Amino acid sequence: MIGTITLNPAIDVILEVSNLKINHYNKVLNAHTTSGGKGINVSKAIRGYGRETIAVGFLGGGRGRMIEEELRGLGITTNFWHIEEKTRSNTIISDKKAGEHTLLSEPGPKITEYDLEMLKSIFYRVMSQCSAVTLSGSLPRGVPVNIYGDLISIAKERGVKTILNTSGEQFIKGLEKKPFLAKPDLRESNRVFGIKIDKERDAIKAAKEIVQRGAEIGVVSLEQEKDIIATRDEIWFAETDYHEIVNLIGAGDALIAGFAITLTEEGKNLEEAIKFSMACALASALREEEEFGSREEVEKCLQCVNVKRL
Amino acid sequence: MKIKDLMIRDVTSALATCKLVDLIGILSRHKITGLPVVNNNQEVIGFISLHDIIRATLPNYLGIINSDSILSEFIQLSKSLKEYSQRPVEEFMRKNIITIDEDDNEVLAADLLIRNKIQGLPVLRDSKLVGIVTLTDICRVLMNNDENKNN
Repeated sequence: MIGTITLNPAIDVILEVSNLKINHYNKVLNAHTTSGGKGINVSKAIRGYGRETIAVGFLGGGRGRMIEEELRGLGITTNFWHIEEKTRSNTIISDKKAGEHTLLSEPGPKITEYDLEMLKSIFYRVMSQCSAVTLSGSLPRGVPVNIYGDLISIAKERGVKTILNTSGEQFIKGLEKKPFLAKPDLRESNRVFGIKIDKERDAIKAAKEIVQRGAEIGVVSLEQEKDIIATRDEIWFAETDYHEIVNLIGAGDALIAGFAITLTEEGKNLEEAIKFSMACALASALREEEEFGSREEVEKCLQCVNVKRL
Repeated sequence: MKIKDLMIRDVTSALATCKLVDLIGILSRHKITGLPVVNNNQEVIGFISLHDIIRATLPNYLGIINSDSILSEFIQLSKSLKEYSQRPVEEFMRKNIITIDEDDNEVLAADLLIRNKIQGLPVLRDSKLVGIVTLTDICRVLMNNDENKNN
C-alpha cells in the first residue's frame, strides 16, 4: 500500500472557456468539479494504474465530505482528519482556443495545534500499512514549515520509504530529514537553493544538491517534459518524444506516483523506474480530462520515453 | 462478491486512549455514530458507538429504551456526559467485537450483521483495519444485482 498526504486539499472547479477576456463577460462552455491537491492526485494516479493507496490529510465541511466520497468511489482508502474550517477550492480556467490553463489557488483553512497532533497520530498508525509515502503540496495556514520533516521522521521510524515533492521553505526543511526521493515543485518559482532552473546544467546542479543534502534520489524538472534524476553516483536525463500534450495539470503528480510504485513496491532499478514514471506522467498529460492514465495507457506510453545516463 | 469490492474504503478510527470529548468531535464531523478502536498498528481492538456511551452514562438505560421518554433521566445524562468527557474510549468500548476479512463474501457479512443486530462490521486484512461494511452497502449490491438480472 502506498500512502499519500495532502495537508491542503481542494475542490478543483474547472471552467472551460473559449478565448478568455479579462475585464469582460465570458461564457463558460463546460464546468465540472473534482477533488484536487497534489497528494490526492498522486493517489488517483496510483489507483488509475490499479494499485492500492491510502490518502491522509485534512478535510473540512461539505467540500471535505465531497472529496472523501469521490476518493472512496475510485477505490482509494481514506483516513482524513476533519477540521473546523472548510476545505478550499481551486479554480482552473481552461481556455480551449488559446490552449492556456490559468490556476487560481485559494490559501486554505486554518489548522490548529490540536489538528496537527491528531494528524500525526493518524499518520503514525497508517504508516504501519504502507511501504512508501508521498508528501506533496502546499501548507494550509497554521502549519509550520518543518511539518514534512516531522512526518518523514515518523515514516522512517516505521521503515517506510518517503518521497517529498513540495516547494519553498518546507522543501528545504523536509530535505533535512533525508527523504528517499525529493523533487522540488517549481510551478510557483523556478528557483531552488538559489539556483534558477533554466538550462540542463542548472537542473543537474540542483539535483546533485538534493542528493548532497541527504536524499538518495534527486529529481528536477526542466521545462515540462524533461527531467534530471541524480543519485550519489549517477545522473540521468529523461524526456518524452511525444509532443501533442493535452493537459499538463497533474503530470508531475503522476511522475511521483510512478516513482512510488516502481521504487518501493516493485523494487525496479533506477533506469526502469525513471522510464515507468515518465510514462505515467505522459499518460496523464495525454488525457483531456483531469484524470490519470490506466495501466494500458501507461504501458503504451513507455515507448515514447527516452532515458540516457549522462 | 468479496467484501473488499463492496466495503467503504475508510479507516477512520479512534485510539483506546482518545478522550470521549474528542471522540464525539470525530463522530460529529464525520456524521457517523460509531467507530472501530485500533492500536498504533491499525489492529482493531474494539468498537465504540454513541449507544455504548449513553448506556454507560445512564444507569437505568435498559428501563429507558422500553419507556417512551428519556426526559426523567435527562439531567442524569447531561451530568454524566460532562463528568465522563475526559475519560478514555477504552472504558466504554465493546471489546469482543465481530469483524470480517476482506476476502470473505457478502453472504457471511449479511448473516453477521443481521444476527448480531449491528450496523457496521470492521473489515480486516492480516488483522489490520482496511474498511467498514454496512448493511446498507450489502442491500445496495443485492438490489443492483437483481436489476442487472432483470435487464
